[in-house]
Amino acid sequence: MFMHILKYELKNGLRTKDLIIWLILFPIILGTCFKIAFGSIYEKTEKFSSIPVAIVEESENAAFRQVIEGIEKSDEPFLKASFTDKEKAEKMLDDGKVEGIIFTSDNISLTVKEKGIRETMLKSFIEQYKVREKIAMDAINTAPEKAQEVIASLTSETASSCRDIPLTQGNPDMYIQYFYNLIAMVAMFGCITGMHITMQNQANLSPLGARNNCSPVQKSISILACLTGSFILETICMVICVSYLAFVLKVDFGDRLWLVYPSAILGGITGVSFGFFVGSLTHIGEKAKSALLVSISMLLCFCSGLMVGNMKAIIAARIPWFNNINPAAVIADCFYCLNIYEDYDRFITKLITMAVISVMFIVLGFVTSRRKKYASI
Amino acid sequence: MQVFKAMFKVMRSRLPSALIYIVCFFAISAIIANASTNDNKFEAKRLDISIFDEDDTPESHALAEIIKKSNDIVEIEKDKDTILDSLYYRRIDYALIINKGYADKLRAGETAELFSSYHLDESFSVVYMGQFLDEYVSTVKAYLSMGEAFDEAVANAEDAMSQNAEVNMLSRIDKGGNSHFSVDFAGYFQYMPYILVSIIISVVSLVLVTMNKKDIRYRTNCSCLKESSYTFQLFLGSFLFVFIIWLLFMIGGMILNKEFYTGRAWYAVLNSFIFAVVVGTMAVLVASFEPKDNVLNLITQVLGLGMSFFCGIFIPVEVLSDKVLSVARFLPAYWYVRANNMIADITQFSLNEVIQCYLIQLGFAAAMVIITLLVRKVKYSGAAIGTAVKKAAAAEH
Repeated sequence: MFMHILKYELKNGLRTKDLIIWLILFPIILGTCFKIAFGSIYEKTEKFSSIPVAIVEESENAAFRQVIEGIEKSDEPFLKASFTDKEKAEKMLDDGKVEGIIFTSDNISLTVKEKGIRETMLKSFIEQYKVREKIAMDAINTAPEKAQEVIASLTSETASSCRDIPLTQGNPDMYIQYFYNLIAMVAMFGCITGMHITMQNQANLSPLGARNNCSPVQKSISILACLTGSFILETICMVICVSYLAFVLKVDFGDRLWLVYPSAILGGITGVSFGFFVGSLTHIGEKAKSALLVSISMLLCFCSGLMVGNMKAIIAARIPWFNNINPAAVIADCFYCLNIYEDYDRFITKLITMAVISVMFIVLGFVTSRRKKYASI
Repeated sequence: MQVFKAMFKVMRSRLPSALIYIVCFFAISAIIANASTNDNKFEAKRLDISIFDEDDTPESHALAEIIKKSNDIVEIEKDKDTILDSLYYRRIDYALIINKGYADKLRAGETAELFSSYHLDESFSVVYMGQFLDEYVSTVKAYLSMGEAFDEAVANAEDAMSQNAEVNMLSRIDKGGNSHFSVDFAGYFQYMPYILVSIIISVVSLVLVTMNKKDIRYRTNCSCLKESSYTFQLFLGSFLFVFIIWLLFMIGGMILNKEFYTGRAWYAVLNSFIFAVVVGTMAVLVASFEPKDNVLNLITQVLGLGMSFFCGIFIPVEVLSDKVLSVARFLPAYWYVRANNMIADITQFSLNEVIQCYLIQLGFAAAMVIITLLVRKVKYSGAAIGTAVKKAAAAEH
């Protein structure tokens, strides 16, 4: 009987258009949108690259020009300078071809369009130049005999005073976490399939439920079969989603992609169990129930960072325990751990949390849906 | 006006979901409006930095003070995972360790490995702080080599480092304050297309599809209502809904920004109205395919999210790749955003180009109307109806 019900659950699921639309098509579309939006944003705004700058020489400043040329010769130049006149420079700044214009005269000044880190770096660069000027002046004033040596030490290349301690080999692009949350969203949307289990097994919720209740099958077996069917369907959706992200959109999940799949599938099971529990909880209609489930899932995804990238960090600073019990955050965190952490401690903790949440929902779902019998009229 | 009334009855059923969109939009706009500043004076970006002082000497404290002047210090636990999380989610931009023996080494004129930093990626912040530290160290070293005592050198270095460069904002931006279309307003108008698409398509299309259902259409067709009057009422109802939603957003915009539209802001108002009309025609087109409820939801999401991501509504146009933008030209929202950016002085303002954007959007609207007429013509032509009737008859037997 178990296999029979399972077969029909699967057939039923594969023919439900909602399932295909929201669990397969919608993530694919949203994923593509995310790829378009966040695909190059990290490279363009966060990762260091030479800052293009226009230089307008209002009066000759050979020393400054020498400094610029020195910088441009280095391996990883900090600036990409183009010498031009004022009008052209302003046009370039306006079109976004350069980040700032440096006017050199006796007093060096900077003109920018935005207030960001690159502009701040340009400002600090000019300040550095002024600092060096001041040091040279001080040296000439206080210790003229050593001035030559001081200036030489300033211009000579010195080893960096700061040693980097690398934290991870993973992909540091923070925008990738939108894809983690997308997978978490698909997993949470599994709650809709979970909800249908109770719909189909309670006589007062749907005609199908009424029919199922008059069959001589034990309720536990019928629910278990439906649950298994939902897990299988959700697994298919999760595999499609992760494969699409990883192979079509080429999202970099770090070097442990084979572990991303089981985590996503476990996440899907958590979502289905959640829907199963909420479905069995109340006697409200199907539309209201699915609206309730979708809004709860969306809210959980919002808290995990589907809409605002650093939401999780904001919550971590205020109510850290919430991130540990929010299923969407736990699922998304799994992928983050796989990407960023070398060891598996935190990843395994997250997996255990997911398993505990799922088991808890399933048990509670069974407890609330048992002993609901209907007298014959 | 029975058709007209019936339309609004159907609309009422969709009101709750439309309201959710509207409330969310206003809430988010209110937060954004309060958070941003209208100031056009340049301010250096303050990084969020965590300092772990292992040396704990007056010299290392002095350095921390200097860093604090132009950056914000964030206290976090010295635990690798916490630091990694904070760096990844940009709670901090830089995690600096002042190594033990910093003061002694610096006093001896050594500059290598005075500091360590937890390193996630080669971001602008990391390069910036690296330069700053090198600069500080070499300044102190320079004063030391002038023969100054260590304390004196540190004090002089601090003094020398407090140089301030003059920074101007590009003059065109300064005029932004007089154009009566502040950056906040621009932001409000920028996100509007997504909400307009979501609400108008989901509501108007649904109503039109409902009115066009077979039974209802047959009933209307056999009534004495003139075809032209029926079409007119449908048109009036849809237009009124679009107009009300648009008006609501205009009033909302005034309340949020606490000022009446003046000067250039009217261009943006007109721009949004034209876009609302375009979306209205889009909704009519979508409805002419008679999608089912769940398919309609998907279409709404695809159009709303797709245009938002492709055309620079959710993220600024500058960070989109050229390939994406070349595709975006074929979508009306691209021209809306383009006009809006010009009006907001984000790109050079030119009245001619703004009007050009208006016309292109209206062109989209005209194209949409023509396609709708074509679709209807094919669908409801005598031949098509004949086949449909035959099919229905065959199915019944």
